[in-house]
Amino acid sequence: MSEMRVLIVDDSSVMRKIVERALRQAGLDSLVVVEAGTGAEGLEVLKTQQVQLILSDINMPMMDGLEFLRQIRAQKLATGVPVVMITTESSEEHVKQAILSGAQGYIRKPFTAEQVKERVLPLLAAA
Amino acid sequence: MVLNGIRMGAGRWETASRKMESTMAQSLRENLPLVADPRNLDHSVEEVFNMMLGASCELIPATPIDDPETITAVVGFGGLLSGACVFRSGGATALNIAAKLTGMEFDELDDTVKDAIGEICNMLAGAWKGKVPDLSANCGLSIPAVITGRNYEIHVQAPEFRLHHTYRFDDSVFDVTIICDGLQ
Repeated sequence: MSEMRVLIVDDSSVMRKIVERALRQAGLDSLVVVEAGTGAEGLEVLKTQQVQLILSDINMPMMDGLEFLRQIRAQKLATGVPVVMITTESSEEHVKQAILSGAQGYIRKPFTAEQVKERVLPLLAAA
Repeated sequence: MVLNGIRMGAGRWETASRKMESTMAQSLRENLPLVADPRNLDHSVEEVFNMMLGASCELIPATPIDDPETITAVVGFGGLLSGACVFRSGGATALNIAAKLTGMEFDELDDTVKDAIGEICNMLAGAWKGKVPDLSANCGLSIPAVITGRNYEIHVQAPEFRLHHTYRFDDSVFDVTIICDGLQ
């Protein structure tokens, strides 16, 4: 697989590293990870870099993950790039909100590398 | 520690869930035994530690923290239930958890360790509320707050209910407390 650039947005640097590790364990060896600690930083990244996948936390200070998603769509950034939300929130209502905001996938924390693989690889294959 | 501040931090969920609260509050209070079921806390701890650290936790009798330094992470609940999930351990346990979570080694309670403990508490809070469907949909979580220091105590006035369990994995001991100070 050729180089794949992934944006991981999470206010926790530890969680960003854990998600990166899970992606590598999923077999995405040619991964180039771009990290953002806030939704605003994530938007700035998307204005200057092309990515093939976006993974974002929901519960973040200042701009939460759902608003980040809405801003991506409103500013027409990363068109066609799959977005996967990774969050502790797992109710049907939260999943519905994420999908309505433009997410293609949803991973509930805690998660295993296998679960990340199951959610992410089909999206990348379809993109 | 003022839990009201945390409740306000999670307050944005309160408006969104207000309509749901009026119809579901009755059932949630009627289901207090389910909400306060101590097994939900044990299952949540096992789920988080097993999936994220590959560690199996054993419920043990309450044990004082035998460590000169203590770390506490707090995640507030807001919405149908207000209160907090509190994770507390000694410094050595926190270093062990952070190492298992990240695959890195630590020798002090630096920002990465505090971040790791905050995330553990966040996942525990999410897993716990996820055990009760009404809570899962109508109770939000605050951003984790992490406190380190020596010889401090957390006091909450007259909680509605309180679950406090102590666990051990390897030689590491920690405790998790669910405090409900309001159930609407």
